[in-house]
Amino acid sequence: MKFNIIPGTLEARIYTIFTIMVFAAIFIMQMVFFRFTMDTVRSSTLENNHTLLRQLVVQIDFYISSVERISRTISGDLDIQNFLENEGDADPGEFREIRKSLNNYIKAREDISDILIVYHDGTVISGDLEARVNPWVSVLDMDWYRGALERGGQTFVSSSHVQNIIAGRYTWVVSLSREIISGLTGDSLGVLLVDLKFNRIEELCRSLVVGAKGYDFIIDREGNYVFHPTQQLVYSNLRSEPVPEILSLLKSREGNTYREEDRYFMVETSGLTDWHIVGVSHDSDMITDWKYVQIIYGFIGLILFLVVGLATNRISSGITKPMRHLQDIMKTVESGEFHLVGEIKATEEIRELARDYDIMVGRIRELVAANTREQELKRKSDLKALQAQINPHFLYNTLDSIIWMGEMGQNREVVKMTSALSKLFRISISKGQEIIPIRDEIAHVQSYLTIQGMRYQDKFSYLIDIDPDLHEYPILKITLQPLVENAIYHGIKESEGRGFIHISGQAGDDDIMIKVKDNGKGMTAEELEELVSGIETAPENRPKLSRQGMGLRNVHQRIRLYFGTGYGLSCESSLSSGTVITVRLPLKEWER
Amino acid sequence: MKNWYLLLISLMAALALFLILSLFYGQNTQKSPDIDDPIRIVLKSMDGDPMDFWDVVNRGIEEAAREFGVQVVVTGPRFEKEINAQIDIVNRAIELSPPLLIVAATDFRKLVEPIRRAQKLDIPVITVDSGVDSDIPVSFIATDNIEAGKKAGTEMKRLLAGRERRDVVIMSHIRETATAIDREAGVRSALEGENIIGTWFCDVEQEKAYKITLELLKNEKLGGIVALNEVATLGVTEAVEELGLQEEVLVVGFDNAMKELSYLESGVLKATVVQRPYNMGYLVVKAAVEYLSGHAPEPFIDTGSILITRENMFRREYQELLFPFGQ
Repeated sequence: MKFNIIPGTLEARIYTIFTIMVFAAIFIMQMVFFRFTMDTVRSSTLENNHTLLRQLVVQIDFYISSVERISRTISGDLDIQNFLENEGDADPGEFREIRKSLNNYIKAREDISDILIVYHDGTVISGDLEARVNPWVSVLDMDWYRGALERGGQTFVSSSHVQNIIAGRYTWVVSLSREIISGLTGDSLGVLLVDLKFNRIEELCRSLVVGAKGYDFIIDREGNYVFHPTQQLVYSNLRSEPVPEILSLLKSREGNTYREEDRYFMVETSGLTDWHIVGVSHDSDMITDWKYVQIIYGFIGLILFLVVGLATNRISSGITKPMRHLQDIMKTVESGEFHLVGEIKATEEIRELARDYDIMVGRIRELVAANTREQELKRKSDLKALQAQINPHFLYNTLDSIIWMGEMGQNREVVKMTSALSKLFRISISKGQEIIPIRDEIAHVQSYLTIQGMRYQDKFSYLIDIDPDLHEYPILKITLQPLVENAIYHGIKESEGRGFIHISGQAGDDDIMIKVKDNGKGMTAEELEELVSGIETAPENRPKLSRQGMGLRNVHQRIRLYFGTGYGLSCESSLSSGTVITVRLPLKEWER
Repeated sequence: MKNWYLLLISLMAALALFLILSLFYGQNTQKSPDIDDPIRIVLKSMDGDPMDFWDVVNRGIEEAAREFGVQVVVTGPRFEKEINAQIDIVNRAIELSPPLLIVAATDFRKLVEPIRRAQKLDIPVITVDSGVDSDIPVSFIATDNIEAGKKAGTEMKRLLAGRERRDVVIMSHIRETATAIDREAGVRSALEGENIIGTWFCDVEQEKAYKITLELLKNEKLGGIVALNEVATLGVTEAVEELGLQEEVLVVGFDNAMKELSYLESGVLKATVVQRPYNMGYLVVKAAVEYLSGHAPEPFIDTGSILITRENMFRREYQELLFPFGQ
């Protein structure tokens, strides 16, 4: 069996599917965009950093080359060359002159720490006039001295190192050394050393960095450190740089960035010094506000999601709400009411559906109304027929009594009964109207009682006690007479002694209650129940009933037909204490 | 009714989206401890020459603070001998309730009391360079001074081999300081079997060390002096140079003051044991950050020491140690 996870209603279904799809779409979009943003920012930052690095290289090169020019100038200086060639027999004055001219170069550039000339025998002429050569140094073993000889007239640029050639002074320098070759003979006269204070380069490297965690460092051609801001950490292995990878970056030329975890390395080579200057950028510096970016993205996602969610909600309810409305109205058909849908706010399809439904319901309503009217007419005519049936029995009994009284010569009684009969009939006919004032109905039942009272001499007495205020209210004609007839024939006539019929009437809040009470035989509980159920049954079903039941049922059904189902008869009775039949009528003004 | 239920579901889904995005993005976060107040660091001396021991420690501290993204405030007395001043400074630092306190104790015992106070206020303490007589500090970052003393002693023993003058004295800088006690113990253990005639204290005064040495040099059998810190070394070497006894009396010292390096080149000082102050500063902040991030650092971290002689003093890896940049 297929298990359905998607809920059954159309609305929930639309909603769920939309939500899932939108969720996925926004999620993927966010991921892609975030990545894209990060990558863009990162690559543009790296590009900037690279530019900065190139600038650093240019500055270092420019700096070195300016000093190199000085070194070239000095080594090409003819005075100095002459002095060096005449070594040994130079006079002290000339010696001082040379030192002074070297000293002038030192003074001209504050970034030059020292300028020296070294003879091949190790003798040192220093440009610094106060300087004393460190006696513990063997100059000829120095890297810069050997480097200069190897280069043969070209400038040798050393790595950074502590220069200890002057006693008591230890300075970080970069040494530019150069073999002095005689312009005349081509002989090697000695080595010129220009010591450049390293702090300038150091400052450059420290200042041209990006971010809080970025830094630059320099390695020489062998991969040794020329400068590293945390050299001690590097030498004690607390921090390590991927030097081989960085150097291979120079050869590969595929990309210009090497990444190790969250550090990015870029390298540029200074042509003059053969140093590799490495710029390190830290990921956290490049996208400093990534958390902020992330929150913004998350927030945008949230807003989008809510907006789309609301829209989905509107769309789905826009579809389903009219449908539900339609459904609710259609459901009333089940309970037998036919409501129209009318004009509704909905899509064209739904509106058309509603229109068609309304047309259908309209037709059904017409049919039902026609049907009801027909039924009512039929019942009314039925009842009229029934009503008409009662009268002949009574009529000929009464006429018999009149005849009998006439024979007896009781003229006064004949007149009285005849006039009562006449009145009775006049009211019964009442110009064919079904509704008459209570006053007339009282007159009618009075006439009836007069006749019956004469026929059953001394058998019963009666009292009509209906509130005179009610006399003008409408009542269905021949309502009370069947009840009185019932009281006489089935109550009083059956019992011993003199009977009493009490007809009383009061107004309730919105109804009129007329009671016909007798003190006759009464009914057992079973008889009462049979009577009540007989009265309540619609005449169409016609159960077999006693005559008594028939009369009461006709009255009951007629009242309900004219005044509504809330009105009619109710009975209470018990054996030997008589019967009370109550008529309930609406308390409403005469209308016509 | 049903709409509310759906709205709730979508709200929850939206929230989930937000959280997932945050979490996913958060993967590449760097973890730096979440502290607002700066870490307080009380060093032994703040008024030294540029590039002296504590200045270099400070540079290491700054580098680590930069790397790990934490704030630090470094204070201390003007001079190392101002023990009471340091106690006051530590007390004041405690009152600011920093997330962590780093102390370089000027006195092994007297600084225990303020550190107890810090513990009562739940301020973790890390000691650097010189510890205290207590196990409250969560970590102690220093040169293993016993090991450093041994290096000095071993070098002295090597130099003394086959010489006639064999008496050795130890010139200590101060009593009751852990560094002095440990170094002396290290020297003595390495010089086992040599004739150590005694330990003198110069109370961190170069003049006093100089005068004591002048007296000691009257001893004809004196063959070696081991000086246990910079001041003591300078006082001793000054006296030895003045009397021109550098070939007779061998001096092995500690630390790397510029003058000491000069003596090293000229041979008055035969060897010196140097510490790594930069690494010390760096590692103490690193340990503090580790602790604040919830990882217990090692109870003792040795920052190492190196024996420097004339032969290796200009080696590339030692150059920046002996001659820090920016001079």
